[in-house]
Amino acid sequence: MSKPKVAFFDFTSCEGCQLSILNLETELLELLDIIDIVEFREAMSEKSDTYDIAVIEGSYSRDSDLKRLRKIRETAGVVVAMGACAHIGGLNALRNSQQREDLLKKVYPDHPEWYETNEKALPISAAIKVDAVVPGCPVDVKEFVHIVKNLVLGKDPGLPTYPVCVECKLNENICVYELGKTCLGPVVRAGCNAVCTSNGGVCIGCRGLIPNPNLNSQKDIMQKYGLDMQRIIDSVNLFMTENAREVQ
Amino acid sequence: MMSTVLEKQATKDNIILGLKKAMAEYEIAALTKKEGKILFDYIDDVNKIELQYTPTVLSPKKFFFPQEEVILEYTMEGKVQAKIDYRKMVLFGVRPCDITGIQILDEAFAESNGDPNYLTKRENSVIIGIDCNSVCDENAFCYKVNSQYPDGGFDIMLHDLGNSYAMTIATEKGELFAEQYFDSGRVDSEAMEEFIRTKERSFEEAGGPFEELENLPEIFAENEHHPIWDSEAERCLSCGSCIMVCPTCYCFDVIDELALSMKIGDRLRRWDACMLRSFAEVAGGENFREEVKNRVKHRINRKFNFLMRKHGKSVCVGCGRCVRSCLADISPVTIVEALTETSRQVRLVEKNNELYLPTKAYIREIVQFTEKEKFFELEMENGKSLNHQPGQFVLLSIFGIGEAAISISSPPSFGNRFDIVVRAVGDVTNKLHTLDVGDFVFIRGPFGHGFDKNIQREMEGKHVLFIAGGIGYVPLRSLINFTLKQKEHYAKISILYGCKSPEDRMYKDELDYISTIGGNVELLETVDSADKSWLKNTGVITSLIPMVKFHPENTIAVVCGPPVMYKFVIKALNDQGLSNENIYVSLERRMKCGVGKCGHCQLDDIYVCQDGPVFRFSDIEEKEEAL
Repeated sequence: MSKPKVAFFDFTSCEGCQLSILNLETELLELLDIIDIVEFREAMSEKSDTYDIAVIEGSYSRDSDLKRLRKIRETAGVVVAMGACAHIGGLNALRNSQQREDLLKKVYPDHPEWYETNEKALPISAAIKVDAVVPGCPVDVKEFVHIVKNLVLGKDPGLPTYPVCVECKLNENICVYELGKTCLGPVVRAGCNAVCTSNGGVCIGCRGLIPNPNLNSQKDIMQKYGLDMQRIIDSVNLFMTENAREVQ
Repeated sequence: MMSTVLEKQATKDNIILGLKKAMAEYEIAALTKKEGKILFDYIDDVNKIELQYTPTVLSPKKFFFPQEEVILEYTMEGKVQAKIDYRKMVLFGVRPCDITGIQILDEAFAESNGDPNYLTKRENSVIIGIDCNSVCDENAFCYKVNSQYPDGGFDIMLHDLGNSYAMTIATEKGELFAEQYFDSGRVDSEAMEEFIRTKERSFEEAGGPFEELENLPEIFAENEHHPIWDSEAERCLSCGSCIMVCPTCYCFDVIDELALSMKIGDRLRRWDACMLRSFAEVAGGENFREEVKNRVKHRINRKFNFLMRKHGKSVCVGCGRCVRSCLADISPVTIVEALTETSRQVRLVEKNNELYLPTKAYIREIVQFTEKEKFFELEMENGKSLNHQPGQFVLLSIFGIGEAAISISSPPSFGNRFDIVVRAVGDVTNKLHTLDVGDFVFIRGPFGHGFDKNIQREMEGKHVLFIAGGIGYVPLRSLINFTLKQKEHYAKISILYGCKSPEDRMYKDELDYISTIGGNVELLETVDSADKSWLKNTGVITSLIPMVKFHPENTIAVVCGPPVMYKFVIKALNDQGLSNENIYVSLERRMKCGVGKCGHCQLDDIYVCQDGPVFRFSDIEEKEEAL
């Protein structure tokens, strides 16, 4: 079979996900056995007018993004949203609860008028249809390879619908709640192999909510473990601004 | 498995030394510390064994049924090979709860289709347990399910006697191992007895087993709709933690993983969990266990009902891991105790015989209605209202004579008085006719399924046709009065009443009053025979039916009378176009208990006393004995 052509694109983001892909090293070479990378600004100067799979990093936050996204959608057979920004808006979406003009003045006090930005930073699915998602901030490169492999095979790229707790338990971690911390693991999508909780951190929700999360119970638990309402909202707000309201 | 029980004793140093020697031939897995966690893992040094037990996140089942394992290896050209990854190993320091868990998994993986991956790993393992003689923490409840005394699932069990361990050797494998590696001698029986006593005492003090441990499968089956399922499910996060940490859960998913070369691949099995939403989802997207409540129910029922029936003991071993890991504080203990309590209350009613215990009622008024029929007003001594529906009945008893089922003729009321009309036809009713105002009888009930709210609602807006024959007016009277009181809610109310002669008419004043209401209310009467003073119809009751104009699709008929009447009345109604769905009947049967037990009123699979006496006729028309 001929190798599918893959192009990488970036929108509002730190480009850290693309950097993670470049860090794959040995696996990246194996990956090149099954795909041709035809455009990847961070790694090469070539560009291509045709590609089969478009991998998009970053959120949709400017009017001018729309035209570019639509062009990508028209060209690519498969569109993959890579990373939290493209998937759920990411950290960029933190600004969504504030007024654009105030923010522009605060961030660019000298010439706020020079900068183009929409009212909200949105996932790219707000602009175009997305066929597959690689969640996370940054993405888990193993999962990225797995999803690309499944797309090449014509299989459902598949994401876990269960929460981080499952993987955290499989790793035999002591629950961070028992250690006096709070964590969004019970309502956040697994697939990261509970990387944060397994390494002394807590889940901050970069992979977004599972389908049908019990946010009421999650809120009650966080309250029981000593968080007031504002801190609960703040913690959800970090990556899941659009869901923070649902917690109240 | 316990047929070859041997008892020996060895010093603790000796046991550890024995394990060190065994490392030449076996890999040793034991409780150890790793990256700040306490867990069961393979060790390279016996000094790394932790003897002070802290409940671990995962149970040692993972050595035989790992979180993820390859079961097949294949090439894309079509070569395939089964894969079993096993080690010759000693699993040291497993606690009784987890040993009971392993024993259950041994059965589960061996039954019907022997699972090669699990069983090979088990065959190549020696399990050395360390007995507990006290409860490890506040979440453990092994003593509630009796898993602290495993009768299998281990080769050697060590009992801590201070400086040494007494050994219970349960298998040949264990015997060989102990012989080869442990320098052992005779058991200090006094110290061992003391150990056993301490163990018994501490688990008894902890509270002992669930009150109805053996009956839990039945209790769970009885309480499928218990409110606790709702309240627990409301908090449940469906996070799957409880399943991941359970020592007896063994569901798995099967996944194909192709190497990046796209040439070779593995088929894996990975722990799955019925608490996860996707567990029962089929390829088309349909989910057979979409509701959290059903998943919670399924999980707990597997432990105390479905699989308990299969294994003959609780499949929950009370290790407490799910309780420790549940942020929403959902515990099997809470659920088991709530269901047991409900079942106990249900049983207590029966055990107290309240079911058959009647309440005294005084006769407050008697009216001779006809030659054989008398009206009685009764007052409950306990001051309570009967709280009945139209169409229900009571069991009236006179001590020394017996009990008889009697329809209630008064409409529902909040007072403690109610009316009956009784024909003197049997022992009880004959005796009742001899009693006076101020005498007492005994009452049980009300019983049966009467004209409930659903039927009442169904009638609204329609033409209601009451057809009463003789004393059949009494069971209908409650409903008739109820509808007359709000006659504007109905398109029309027709009351057809027939009896033998004008002298046999009951509630004469009431009938005369109804005939004057007018508007949408009509009363048609007939008698079988009469002299010239009778100005109304003469003939059987069916002769009245053609006189009523009704639209069959907007009419509901309610029929009650002597058994012989039904067939003719129903035929006459059918002839007028009324379907059996629109006909309600109130059946008479011999009834002794009133509560669906004695069998007298049974009509195929239904009890008239409980499911009736009021039925939609189409529901029973197929039953030969119905009419």
